[in-house]
Amino acid sequence: MNGEIIRLKKAFMFQGLPDEALKVLAQKITRQRLKKDEVLFRRGDSAQALFIIEEGEVKIVREDENGGELALNRCGAGETIGEMSLFDREPRSASVVAAAPTHVLELKREAFFELLNQHPDVAVSLIRSLSSRLRFASAYIQTATEWSKKIAEGDYSFMEQNQPEALTDEDKAEQMLFEFFKMAKGVKEREESLERQVQKLTLVIDEAKRRQEVEELTSAEFYSQLKTQAQKIRAQRRDRS
Amino acid sequence: MGKIVSIHSFRGGTGKSNAAANLAAQAALRGKRVGVVDTDIQSPGIHVLFGLDETNMGATLNDFLHGKCEIEDVAFSVGEKAADGEGRKKLAGKDLWLIPSSIRGREISRVIREGYDVNRLNEGLQNLIEKKKLDYLFIDTHPGLNEETLLSIAISDILLVILRPDNQDFQGTAVTVDIARSLDVTNLLLMVNKAVPNKYDYNDLKQQIEESYKAPLTGILPLNFDIADNASKDLFSLRFPDHPWSRELVKVAEAILAVE
Ligand SMILES: Nc1ncnc2c1ncn2[C@@H]1O[C@H](COP(=O)(O)OP(=O)(O)OP(=O)(O)O)[C@@H](O)[C@H]1O
Ligand SMILES: [Mg+2]
Repeated sequence: MNGEIIRLKKAFMFQGLPDEALKVLAQKITRQRLKKDEVLFRRGDSAQALFIIEEGEVKIVREDENGGELALNRCGAGETIGEMSLFDREPRSASVVAAAPTHVLELKREAFFELLNQHPDVAVSLIRSLSSRLRFASAYIQTATEWSKKIAEGDYSFMEQNQPEALTDEDKAEQMLFEFFKMAKGVKEREESLERQVQKLTLVIDEAKRRQEVEELTSAEFYSQLKTQAQKIRAQRRDRS
Repeated sequence: MGKIVSIHSFRGGTGKSNAAANLAAQAALRGKRVGVVDTDIQSPGIHVLFGLDETNMGATLNDFLHGKCEIEDVAFSVGEKAADGEGRKKLAGKDLWLIPSSIRGREISRVIREGYDVNRLNEGLQNLIEKKKLDYLFIDTHPGLNEETLLSIAISDILLVILRPDNQDFQGTAVTVDIARSLDVTNLLLMVNKAVPNKYDYNDLKQQIEESYKAPLTGILPLNFDIADNASKDLFSLRFPDHPWSRELVKVAEAILAVE
């Protein structure tokens, strides 16, 4: 029981809660293990619980029209996911997939609201985490908007300035823009391949000149000798083998 | 019986020497017994690709043509001696012989002045095939259609004509193809070299070439700075086997080896 409390304390949301409260909470929480690439929930699912990542890492993803996966964010140990739907009662806004073997703690809706009622501190820490996510989203949107404008103008210079590996770890928003970056690269390549539209080379032969040159060669004195000589040589080779 | 494969082009500088050396090397790499002869006596070039220069070149084709030695004395064993160079190294222990032409000014001018006996050359090549039990003898020719070159075309079992994708080469190749047919060459193959990547629709060009010359186009080798940079100092296709030029060259080699 003690070990369980220590583990719950690692969740940012529960930091500052008294041990008594954690003890109560421990009984309401269930644990799930996800293999890498296993889906925790899908966009559009109805929401009955939130999840806290105890160990491992998950990707928040949206599928694009081509069935490709666009990663919007990544969350690691201590972070809470899926609480938004509990507040606004909307279906899940994105899917969550394990990026590595991951352990998550599940806290059901009723238990969550009960916790909020009894410990307003938890609400404050949640608001803090939501605010930081909002900032993240704003930064993301701002850069993506700037880049989109540049792409529309045919200016790809930002791709040289923002090599994805050069993006700092601190600025998560920019890191997630790696996906955007890949898309821009695709657009650029398509444009370039259109530009260097291959030409058709038409093989032109001056037939009169061709006949004349062949005629000159084949009518030369040495030519008929050469022909007989070559025939002789070939016959010899056949005999020798 | 060993096959004679002549590598020819109507105009100079198409890449005959590079192709001949690399094709011979590819055949040797596949376990064939192979000879390469530089019959471009007026402007020899293939020796460089095998690492030969004034200092290490022994007897030459010129010595044989002037009756100074036997053809076997001229055969330089690449597998035993020229296994230096990153690419050439791969030929160590392979059965590949080079018959170089002299690079001495005096001997070159003598040949230009006096010409040589094409019968003796032919006799020498036949002997070489027999003595070394060659599967293939590659002949690097002098460009154009002079008498000596016509004979090496006439006696070849396979003629590989190299052209660049331009109208002057198209015209010259047309004449060469007609002459080769008139000389009863049975296996005529084509190769395009120095094709500027992505410039033309090469699938379309291949169709036009094959239709026009009625012969298979066995490879389209790109124009590439790396090859020019190699400056014919090593066997490019052995040194850089994954390079696009090398991949296309291997296709040409395979087409040659597939001829019955
Ligand atoms: N695909 C290529 N891309 C770039 N350079 C090439 C290519 N093929 C050959 N070259 C270069 O072109 C030059 C001529 O090549 P090479 O000597 O093989 O031609 P050649 O037909 O034997 O010439 P010659 O008619 O003078 O005997 C060399 O400098 C060689 O490095
Ligand atoms: Mg040459």
